[in-house]
Amino acid sequence: MIPLENFLILAGILFATGLYGVLARRSAILILMSVELMLAAVSINFIAFAAYLDGEAFSGLIFALFVITVAAAEVGLALGIVLRLFRERRTSYVDAADTLKW
Amino acid sequence: MEEVWILPAIPFVVFLVLGLLGRFLPRNGDGLAVLGMAAVVVLVGFVLADFQGSFVDDLFHPAAGANTYAFDWINIGDGFFIIEFSTYVDAVTMVMLPVVSFVALMVLVYSIGYMRGEQRYGWYFSALSLFVAAMLLLVVSGNLLQLYLAWEGVGLASYLLIGFYWERQSAAEAAKKAFITTRIGDVGLLIGIILLWRATGTFDIQDIIHAAESGGIGETYLTVAMIFLFAGAAGKSAQFPLHVWLPDAMEGPTPVSALIHAATMVVAGVYLVARMLPVYNEVLIARDIVLYTGLLTAFMAATMGLVATDIKRVLAFSTISQLGFMFVALGVGALTAAMFHLLTHAFFKSLLFLGSGSVIHATEQQEVGHLGGLRKKMPITAITFTIGSLALAGIPIFAGFWSKDEILHDLQKDGPLWAYGVLAATAGLTAIYTTRLVLLTFFGEPKDQHAYDHAHESPPIMTAPLAILATLATVSGLIAFKGVGETLGFVGGIGEFVVAHGEPHIFEIDWVFAGSATATAVAGIVIGFMYWGGDARRSIAARNWAPELHQLFARRYYMDELYQAFINNVVLGAARVVAWFDKRVVNETGVDGGTQLIGFLGHRLKFLQTGRIPNYALGMALGVAALAIVAIGTT
Repeated sequence: MIPLENFLILAGILFATGLYGVLARRSAILILMSVELMLAAVSINFIAFAAYLDGEAFSGLIFALFVITVAAAEVGLALGIVLRLFRERRTSYVDAADTLKW
Repeated sequence: MEEVWILPAIPFVVFLVLGLLGRFLPRNGDGLAVLGMAAVVVLVGFVLADFQGSFVDDLFHPAAGANTYAFDWINIGDGFFIIEFSTYVDAVTMVMLPVVSFVALMVLVYSIGYMRGEQRYGWYFSALSLFVAAMLLLVVSGNLLQLYLAWEGVGLASYLLIGFYWERQSAAEAAKKAFITTRIGDVGLLIGIILLWRATGTFDIQDIIHAAESGGIGETYLTVAMIFLFAGAAGKSAQFPLHVWLPDAMEGPTPVSALIHAATMVVAGVYLVARMLPVYNEVLIARDIVLYTGLLTAFMAATMGLVATDIKRVLAFSTISQLGFMFVALGVGALTAAMFHLLTHAFFKSLLFLGSGSVIHATEQQEVGHLGGLRKKMPITAITFTIGSLALAGIPIFAGFWSKDEILHDLQKDGPLWAYGVLAATAGLTAIYTTRLVLLTFFGEPKDQHAYDHAHESPPIMTAPLAILATLATVSGLIAFKGVGETLGFVGGIGEFVVAHGEPHIFEIDWVFAGSATATAVAGIVIGFMYWGGDARRSIAARNWAPELHQLFARRYYMDELYQAFINNVVLGAARVVAWFDKRVVNETGVDGGTQLIGFLGHRLKFLQTGRIPNYALGMALGVAALAIVAIGTT
């Protein structure tokens, strides 16, 4: 059996990559993709812990399913916002949406 | 009749009906008010008949009378803190009930004539009914808290009726003055009630009296409590130094002055002290305060009455003075004399006020400088007014003589001699100012021809109450005699009826004493005739006899100026300090400073809002990382 650490390291790498993408990218699309990476990392953690800690219980699996569902809904919503932003500003860079700045 | 609570309930219902629906009733419902009051008088008769049954072997047994627990008014924690709505009827109540209900009936009937055509005619009757309801509740209250409720109720009604002509600045101010001045006393009353409750754990008057008599309360504590209680009585009964409101209260309609500010409400203080007299007998310092306050007030008010020029104000000063007489009687423990004087005074003073109302109604003048010679135009008013004056002056046969004589007698017996001298002199002054008032109003030459021509006798609906009250002012003093009391169905005269110290008070005619009292009264009348019986030069001579004294009396001992100065300097000074604190500290530092601080911080902190999403995301990430570190660190 593959040790738990391997899964956790993979999830950590994925999460860190996603976090870096969210912080460093200007394009809204790329930021969204990075968020998806972070969500995937979390899902991996859930499943790994579910499998290793208690083979009978499947609440971790359920959580992973929920994460996928929420992620799908979130992306649908977020892409709509990005589309609006693009139509308004002719760009998908998030710097363009700074109206609330002092 | 055991359900005494019905007595105040009837006028209260009348008040509600007239107040809410008066506009739809014929004549604004004045007939309803009179009918309700007549019903109360009849019921008081039943209560009186029932009350006689509570005398067994010439001793009063309260349980057999109309002394009932009605219902729980407030019940907290299922009996932990309980206030009953209770009624208590004994001889003191039995003097008050007929006085209040009967004078109220007379005044209501009289008002139909006096107030005709007034604005807010229905409201007048409504407010008067509210007053009667509160007054009856006060009289039958079995516990102090219920009494306090009624006490404030009569204060409210008095305020409303003094300010009846509120379009007039002076009336509005007089109403305020009356309310605030009595309120100062009422605070004392409330403190006294709370002190008594703390000591005994009950509000029930009889329980408190028993506790005090059995020595269950410390003497100093009880003295302080009873002095506070007397402060309330002094405020309501216009005793020095809280007497200043009553002369100004004459701004109200005259029948109101007759009912509230002469016959009933102002004797509430006397009633309270009479009701608590067994407790005052335990603490003689407090009782002496009652005595000397009454004495000082009686004398001061009589001197002020000597120089007042407004017919109603002379009567107001006279009322203050006579209330002082009653407190003097209570101050020497003479319950019978005090209640007797209360009874006779209610009749002759309401008669005098209603008579003055008749004069004012006819001439639209109330300064004696504009009256005079009215006896030819208004014979009934003149005769009844003179009868009332003779009763007030203390001429034998008339009611005031018997009761005032009794007070003087008791004071001479139980009080210091000098106090007796002062009060006897006050009785002489009473005769002088009464004579002066009658002479200036009804005799001599008309001083204002226009007002004189305008004058006419009042309609029968006004003169009938005058005649009835004049009869009572003549004969009501006779109930001092055992035979008269027995004929009326009581155990005897008022002395056997209103019993203090558990022993009946037998009235005896001391011929020397009665003779000297009569001589004083006659001398007063003669002096009055000497100065005001002739032409105007004599009365000017009277004024110039001692101009400084005249000025002192006419300015009411500068009490009003003193209070005004106190308000201007101390109260308003304190108000200015508070206003400064509010403006500078609370408003400018606290409220404005707060907004300025927030504004400043906002101005500085707004630069955190860069509008760049990665910055916000970084903040979020750092926050999560910090939380994670904290979470790991603690486990």
